[in-house]
Parts: sequence; structure tokens; C-alpha cells
Amino acid sequence: MKELSQTGKKNRPALFAGIGVVALLALFPLVAPAPYFLSMLYMVFLYVVLAESWNIIGGFAGYLSFGHVAFFGLGAYTTAFLMNKLALSPVATILSSIPGGFVAALVAFVIGYPCLRLRGPYFAVVTMCFAFVVHMVMQNIDLFGGVEGLWLPAMKQPIHVIRGIFYELMLALMILVILFVRWMEGSKLGKGLVTIREDEEVAQTLGIHTPRIKALAFVLSAFFPGVAGGLHAYYLTYISPENVFDVMVSILIVLMTLFGGGGSWLGALIGAVSLSLVNEFLTTFVGAEIARIIYGMLFIGVILFMPNGIMEFFRRRRRVRLAAEEVSES
Amino acid sequence: MFEIILLQSLVSGVLMGGIYALLGVGFSLTWGVMRVINIAHAGFGVLAAYIAYSLLEKTGLDPLLSLLISLPSFFFGGMILHRGLIRPITKARETIVASMVLTFGLAIVVENVMLWIWKADPRVLKPSYSGTAVFIGEVGLPIAQLVGFGLAAVGILLLYLFLNHTHTGKAVQATWQEKEGAALMGINLQKVSEIAFGLAIAAAGMGGVAMAMMYTFDPPVHNFWLIYMFLVVIVGGVGSILGTALAGLILGVITGLCMAFIPYQWINVLTFGLLIVVLLVRPQGLFKTGV
Amino acid sequence: MMLRGEQITKRFGGLVAVSRLDFEIREGEVVGLIGPNGSGKTTLFNVISGLYKPEEGTITFRGRRIEGRKPYEVSKMGIGRTFQIVKPLLTMTVLENIAIGALYGREGARDMKSALAKSEEILHFTGLERRRGVLAENLKLADRKRLEIARAMATRPEILLLDEVFAGLNETEIDEAIRLVKGIQQKFGTTIFIIEHVLKAIMKTCGRVLVINFGEKIAEGTPEEVTRNPGVIEAYLGNASGI
Repeated sequence: MKELSQTGKKNRPALFAGIGVVALLALFPLVAPAPYFLSMLYMVFLYVVLAESWNIIGGFAGYLSFGHVAFFGLGAYTTAFLMNKLALSPVATILSSIPGGFVAALVAFVIGYPCLRLRGPYFAVVTMCFAFVVHMVMQNIDLFGGVEGLWLPAMKQPIHVIRGIFYELMLALMILVILFVRWMEGSKLGKGLVTIREDEEVAQTLGIHTPRIKALAFVLSAFFPGVAGGLHAYYLTYISPENVFDVMVSILIVLMTLFGGGGSWLGALIGAVSLSLVNEFLTTFVGAEIARIIYGMLFIGVILFMPNGIMEFFRRRRRVRLAAEEVSES
Repeated sequence: MFEIILLQSLVSGVLMGGIYALLGVGFSLTWGVMRVINIAHAGFGVLAAYIAYSLLEKTGLDPLLSLLISLPSFFFGGMILHRGLIRPITKARETIVASMVLTFGLAIVVENVMLWIWKADPRVLKPSYSGTAVFIGEVGLPIAQLVGFGLAAVGILLLYLFLNHTHTGKAVQATWQEKEGAALMGINLQKVSEIAFGLAIAAAGMGGVAMAMMYTFDPPVHNFWLIYMFLVVIVGGVGSILGTALAGLILGVITGLCMAFIPYQWINVLTFGLLIVVLLVRPQGLFKTGV
Repeated sequence: MMLRGEQITKRFGGLVAVSRLDFEIREGEVVGLIGPNGSGKTTLFNVISGLYKPEEGTITFRGRRIEGRKPYEVSKMGIGRTFQIVKPLLTMTVLENIAIGALYGREGARDMKSALAKSEEILHFTGLERRRGVLAENLKLADRKRLEIARAMATRPEILLLDEVFAGLNETEIDEAIRLVKGIQQKFGTTIFIIEHVLKAIMKTCGRVLVINFGEKIAEGTPEEVTRNPGVIEAYLGNASGI
């Protein structure tokens, strides 16, 4: 009799392959590649971080946050603000991305409890709205630079070294988030979230403290984007409400995660990697607009034929086949 | 002097409110009848605005006349969209969420098509009568605003008449109130949904042109219009034409009055904040429609 | 005394779904709740399990007041329930469904692994071991009902509220389900409060039956007493189920 639970699947070859890929990626900057490749991969890593984090609340819990870029932007502003106000050294600035994560998490905690009481579409709208409000508020507060934004003086290093540093930082953050979500998927928290997504009423009758768990998921899903925002601010050396609260980012991370498959660490990874690569390549060759048109149509296509994402589509077929075999055995 | 400002704001507000309402009714219709939240709805509005703009630029055609061309195309386009994209997802477990996700993708396509063709510079529709106003005492009514309001009134009235006084329209209402019953009565659900969707998109087009005569627009502005639409539809009650119209007027008046006292850049913060408050406090709106 | 309800009243706008209802369930009993469709039975269960808050009345469970508490609090205190229209977690397997109950239920489990281990007993007891890896959405009705019960049992409740578990089953399945329900009482010592239309099930499992109509209790007694009660028969006239 086959045990079909995915937990505890000791898959040695995959593990070694994964470590190999990570090692290759980490060593990549040493071969002095063209800056284009480094920055492209950096963006891919960033999107993986954002998509995997969003996955926690959107994919697992089923609460689609349509304004997630707000947390990214809050992290960026935290780091930029701290660096300017406290005249931080490069290392300290990098580390200030962690408080950036905490600021984002705190905001998520505060708005999470009231907003998570709302069902599907209403939650999506309120989060989308909230992101716009944060954007507009930041635009109008001079303390944070207003419309002009804030500058972060760059590190005093050669440009290729700086690029390499941020590449490695984002790679590390990406690995961290992937491992975290992977762990969470099999954990008690993860199972609780999936149950909520399936049927929140049933979840409550089974003893799951839904408000608490949803809030926890929301806070976790905000923390990592906040950290990423802090790092990205230093990478860009200039942030403004326009470039760190871009609504397109909110939309892209939703699409990436659902494309690959929400509720699965691998699905979000696949979705983020494939779509951000598509985005970057197409943007270079045919321009940003056409890239996004193709992107959008690709997404629509997948949603129509594989409504739960690519991962789930193939996993389902495999499970149905295995279960059919099992039933015919007994 | 103060009374004049107040009156002016009030009047402007009412006129704007009608336009908000027009944008919202189509959205309300698809949400109420088909359980489809069309995130791209405002995007189609902006598209109509661009089409009117181009026609105005190239041929001098008045935006209202251009509607004679774009409205039918939007209607049929909407029907095709429904058949191709919306119908398949009605099989999903949670149609409403699936529709949001799908139309999210659609919104990206629409926005970027507009970006590609027309680029990102802000535009405004300036028909021959823009900038002129009619004065009642000391209160000025910009002609463009009046035209927009007139458009809105006509559009909403037509939609209302359609829903309540035509055979197909009543079928649409029946479908929304009782899906299975309607099917049993021989109503072709698909056809009805297609027509309703087509009308909604056409209404979006109308609303877009009306908005564009008042405000500058660029491809991403549909996100902002979307918030206004959510506000009027949620406050007015999903599916209720009357409710949406009223909510539009209320919203228009509130923003109109606020514009007299609050710096311009905070108006949007206020409006969006209002939506957040409405959602958290009373998402079912002012008028119970049971959706 | 395990569960007691006093003067419970639940209104929905102008409609009174449950009206001044009193009931008592003693430890170890199997008590039936019958009544015509729409008489307020499921509403009562929803009130007990915390999905609704009653306008008036109190519910006491092992001496503690529970009316108005949230479902997850009530569940942790030891009240489990099934739903009339079964709600399996469709994308999970049978074993995983049950394990969720073990994971978050009254005893709880540290992680999924131990929850799965703890679910084996219930899996076997409810006769689902051959379906352990099947996705819940691929189960036929009788198995879905078993799963619904199994999952509720996995939360290790002291009292189990069963809502029309026999509906839609054929004769053989009904007999199996009767054995299952009796087994729950005998093997696990769980107290059972059961809403049912299928008369055979009531007669064979319940020691005591409450009859409710239009939200009010109209009779109480043994199954034999209650089914002979003229007021009860009259309440059911026009509703041919089971009698």
C-alpha cells in the first residue's frame, strides 16, 4: 500500500541537485559574467522571495492579498530612513533591512486582525486599497522624502563588487525563504492554513484558532518582503513611492504564485522563476509592454486550463492515477 | 463667498457623482448577476477614453459621436470575452475569486496594450466645448461635466429600463435572483450572461469617456478608477443599479465638498480610506440586496 | 451531567428558529433529536458548537458556560460535530483529513507526522483503511460520511454531535453506520447527540429522544414512547420521512 503523503519523502537525488544548483548560483559572480546576467538573476531571486512569502497568506491560507507590494515598500523606506537618519555604515545598512522586515510585519499585524475577518474578494480589495493608501501617504510626507523620495549613498566599492554582494544577499534571502516555506508546508501551521483555505467553518470546528493563525500567516508573509525591500533600497540607492510601491509588483507576485501553484513551495518557486525569466527576457527583446501582454495572456491561459496552477495540475493527475491503481488493487 | 464655494463644490460633486455611478453600474451588474468581479472593468473604460482621444485627434470627431462606434464594439467584444474567458471559469468552485484572478491577468493585458499603443503620457479629452461653462448665478457648471453627467444619466437610465422593461432584461434579473429557477423556466443562462457582460463592458466604455473629459488619464489610472467603482458598488449594494447610482452621487458630493477644504493630493487618500472603512464596518452596503 | 441547554432561543431577523429550548445530555448517553424539516435541529447544533450565538438562554458543558463561544474554543473543550452536508477537505487524502482533526483537536499533536500516527486507530475503526490514500473528492457518499465522523472523532471529543449521518445511505450502509455509532459509544465512551430522520437508526442507537417542531420541544422519552406520541405523529403528518 503506497503512502501518498508528501511529508517525509527522502529524495536524495533531488537534495543533491538542489545543493548543486545553489552552489553554482553562489559561485556564478566569480566568473565575472556580464552585469546583465547578474542583475537579471538578482531580480529573479527577489521575485522568488516575494512570491514565496505571498504564498504563505495567498496560496496556503487562500486569502489573496492584492496589495502586498506595500510591505516591500515599507521595508525599503525603513532602511532608507534609518540609513539617512543614523548615518549607518554599509554593513549596518544591510542589517537594517531586518528592522525593515519587522516594520512590515508590525503593520501586517495591525491591519491583519480587522482585514482578515473579510472574505475572499473583500479581503483582496481592502489589501489593494491599503497599498494605495500607503503609497499616497508616503508621497505626501516630507519626512520620508515626499514625491522625491530618499537617496542611499552607495557603498564605496567597485560597481561589480557591489552587484556581486547584492546578488549573494538576495540569493541567501531566497534560500532562506524557500526553506522556511518548505518547512511550513509540512508543519502544523501549514496544514492549519490549508484547512482554512479549504473550508474555514470546518477548520474552526476542528479546533483551529482561525483568527490567530491567519494573522500569523499574514505577518510572516509581510516580514520577508520587508527585508527584501530593505536590501533592494540599498541596491537601487534611490527609492521613491513610484518605484517601491508599484502596483504592478503586487499583481505580478499574485500571478507568479498562482501560475506555479499556490499552497506549494515548489509551485511558487516554479511560477516565480519561470514568469520572472519570461518577464526579463521579453522586456529586453520586445520591450516592457509587450512582455507584460504576453505574460498576462500566458497567465490567463494557465488559469483557464490549470486553475490551481501548474504544480497542482500535474500533482492531481499523478494522485488520481495512483489512487485508481490503489482502488483496483483492493 | 463661502456659500458660493460650498454650492459650487456641491454641484460639481453631483455631476461627478453621476459619472462615478456610470462607471460602477456595469461592474455591479457583472458582480451581481454572474458573480464575476471584473478587475479589468475600469481598464476598458480607459481604453474607450483612448479610442475617443485618438478619434478626436485624428478626425476631430466629438467623443460623444465616437461612442456610436466604440459602444457596439465594446458590447460585442464583451460578449466574446465572456464566451472565451468567463464561461470556462464558472465551473470553478469559487467563481468570484477565480474571476478576480483571471481578470487581474486581463487587466495587465489591457493596460499594457494601451501603454504600448499610446505610451504613458497623461492625456485628457478636450472636445470643442471643454473649458467653457454655463453660469447659474455665480456657480459655474463646466459644459464638459454637464455632458459627462448627461451621458451618465442616459447610460444608467437605459440600463435600468433594459433590466426592468425588456424581456431579456428581466431574464437577466431572474438569473441573478434564482439561477436554477431561471434555467428551469427555459432561460438560456449562457446567452443572458453574455448579453449582460457585453452591456457591462459597453457601460464601462461610456463611463470611461465621461471620466476622461473631466480628469487626465493614463494607462495605470484604471487602478484608481477601480477603487471608486468598488466604493460605489459596495456602498450601494452589489447588483443594485439604483443603489450604485445613489452611492455614486453620495461619493461625488463628499469628494466635491472635500475638494474645497482639503489639499488635492489627500482627496484620494480620503476616498481610499473610506473604502477601507466601509469594508471593515459594513461591507453589505446601504441597501440590502443579499449578494 | 455533560451538556445542558436552558431556554435557548435563536432568531434570524423575524424568524424564530429555536424557541426556549431545554435539554440535558448525560455522560455516556446516546440521545436522538428528531423533528420535521426546518424544525430547528441543525440550528440547535450550530448554537451548541459555537457557529451561532443564541439571543437568549445558556448552554453549560461540564459546568462551564459555552453559549456564544467561538467554535474553536468549543471544540477544544471537547465538543465535536459533523455537518449535515458533509464537508470533506477535498484536496487532502482520507488519512490527512482525519489527521487534521488529531492535529488541532482536544489532545492535539505536535506535528503532522504524529497526527497521522494518531489517526490510524480511527481510520481502522471507521473502516476507511483501504481508502487511506484516496483524495477526499473521489470518495462516494457513504465513505464521505464515514470520513466526516472519523475526522470529528479524531479531535477526541467527549460529546459528538452527529447531524443526519444516515441520510442518503442504502440499507446495508445504514446497518454499518448503526454499528459504527454504537461502536463509538462502546469503544470510546463518547456521548452522542444525534439528529436523524432515519427512524431505524434512532430506534437502534438512542436511549432517549427529543422531539422538536417549529423550534420548540414537543416531546421527550424513549424511542418507543416518542414514536407513539400523537403530537409527534401529527407534527410529522405531511412529512413522510421514516415513519
